[in-house]
Amino acid sequence: MAKVFNWQLNREVEYPYESHKVKKQFAVVMNLNKCIDCQTCTVACKTTWTPGRGQEYMLWNNVETKPHGFYPIGWDVHLMEKLEEQNVQQIWENGQYKGKTIIEAAPEGERVLGWMPDDLDWINPNIGEDETSEPVDIGTIIEHFPNPIWMFYLPRICNHCSYPACLAACPRKAIYKREEDGIVLIDAERCEGYQECVKACPYKKSMFNQVVGISQKCIGCFPKVEQGLQPQCVTTCIGRIRLMGFINPPNEVVQDNPIDYLVHIKKVALPLYPQTGLQPNVYYIPPITVPLNYLRQMFGPGADHAVEVYKRMREGNEPELQALLHLFGSTQFIPHKFKVDGNYVIGYDEKGNELVRVPIVEPVQFRPMHDERYDVVRQDIT
Amino acid sequence: MKKLKITFLSILAVSSLSFAEDIINSKFVKSDIPLDPLNSIWKQAKEVEISLAGQAVTTPSDLKPSVEKIKVKSINNGSEIAFLLIWDDKTKDVYRVNNKFSDAVAVQIPYHADPSTPITMGEPGKGVLILHWQAFRQENIERGYADLPKIEPNYAVDWYPHAQSPYNYPEDWHNQYALNYIGGEKNYLKNTISSPVREIVAEGFGSTTWKSIQSAEGKGIYKDGKWYVEIKRRFFTGNTVNPEWGPGKVTYVTFAVWDGSNMERDSRKSLGYTWIKLNIEGK
Repeated sequence: MAKVFNWQLNREVEYPYESHKVKKQFAVVMNLNKCIDCQTCTVACKTTWTPGRGQEYMLWNNVETKPHGFYPIGWDVHLMEKLEEQNVQQIWENGQYKGKTIIEAAPEGERVLGWMPDDLDWINPNIGEDETSEPVDIGTIIEHFPNPIWMFYLPRICNHCSYPACLAACPRKAIYKREEDGIVLIDAERCEGYQECVKACPYKKSMFNQVVGISQKCIGCFPKVEQGLQPQCVTTCIGRIRLMGFINPPNEVVQDNPIDYLVHIKKVALPLYPQTGLQPNVYYIPPITVPLNYLRQMFGPGADHAVEVYKRMREGNEPELQALLHLFGSTQFIPHKFKVDGNYVIGYDEKGNELVRVPIVEPVQFRPMHDERYDVVRQDIT
Repeated sequence: MKKLKITFLSILAVSSLSFAEDIINSKFVKSDIPLDPLNSIWKQAKEVEISLAGQAVTTPSDLKPSVEKIKVKSINNGSEIAFLLIWDDKTKDVYRVNNKFSDAVAVQIPYHADPSTPITMGEPGKGVLILHWQAFRQENIERGYADLPKIEPNYAVDWYPHAQSPYNYPEDWHNQYALNYIGGEKNYLKNTISSPVREIVAEGFGSTTWKSIQSAEGKGIYKDGKWYVEIKRRFFTGNTVNPEWGPGKVTYVTFAVWDGSNMERDSRKSLGYTWIKLNIEGK
């Protein structure tokens, strides 16, 4: 078993294969404070990639309500249960994870500590929608009526992990990580449908096509990414909560790379269940209206800081971060760099060409409520 | 890992003791070989019982295999060779769906009649031919393809962009639009081969690859808690590489069994850990 460095856990982790550095690593940041569960991303992905036979139940992108929504049912609960069964203590000390990863905790004869969802686990993709949990003392979504409650929406795609469990588990070596962009793909011609990847992926983002007999998964919209475009789920997001780009390891941070800025510099975007040890590459800005102990379990010990920074930003004390958030959903092209220039945030492509210039505060014009010319009342006065 | 090695070593020790002298004699018959595992022609061949053990050399392993022995007979008529494989299995599993797997059996033959070929599916330069019968393939052929209405009878589907209703699969897969969603032409061909036996070549674990020319035939019958499976192939198929075998020759074989309801697939299987000598009668 090789040793590879996982910066999210701040230590070396075991992995069946040696670490191969990718030229670029696909990454998406999703701002959970803004997701409204409209499922536009889900539909965009569905109509683009999974309208085929045997793909009926597949949602490579899904949005679920946390803590009581899941697709498939209980995917995260099972992950926690499995770690507990193996007596894994999910302990962090000084930013380092002391527990075992799902590869280090694999039982005898297995490559990954996994579990296999049953057929029926997939049939309720929107189970638990809008179900809420107990009150919190840090402020909630609905504070005065009828009870203080919390919940949030969690949009999920494949994490295109740096050390994917699906890739580790495949006995046919049919899964590979692309050198050019770090996107993880299943070779459909080598796949024999053994469902080892379905069992291994803790996020349950590998799905079995029962008609064709192969496993299929989110492809990171690689045909778009190859043309410098952001994926379907990102560009169609009406809440503008997503930004796709490329992330660098923490020792090679580029200050004006939007993903690096959010993940490494401001540390406001966090990986999902980093304790899996797979170094997932979808990063979430955690919701500020959720108990911190839940956020720490889901996003690691950085949750406190991320919530604090986001709150500070809301109070106007993080102007650069606030400006960068305006870049989300403002261009279909992949921004490699950004710059804040007065009232504008500017996105640049790989060659430094300007992609988009977004006003941070849009000019507002007021018109009188009464239209003199037609002697009518105006509905649109701003 | 340490425990795994011990398991493996003990399997090797047991296997080398018990099968060292086993020889399968492929009986020469003058007639055509019927594709019927219950045919009386099989009475002519001597049965050999072979012990199997769970695969524990590589991961994922099968530490609790459900099949521990297989009975084997072989006959040949000078141009074709057939194996009859009989094993106990409490359940008939013919699925290839979410979280359910198919019963299966395989015969492995080294390309060179050389017992130093690693039994673990060969190695580079010492390839093996594997004839792999899978119950779900036979079910698809005999009872109609396991398309969505068979797998999920209550599933409601409005429309597919790449096919006209009524949806006849796999036939309707064969247009480029539809193939884009199923991983291309190769998957179409894999799902439409007319035999429940697929021919694959391997040079080590994880390297199995479908042969471009498929010629093996097979037939399985599940009866009274047992599978009776016949696998038949011409010694020499044209336009492809064949093992060094034929009438009057000696080569080696080994077997593997998968029990679907024990979640067995891929390397989770029972297998024979030593080569069995295959003495092929005839000239």
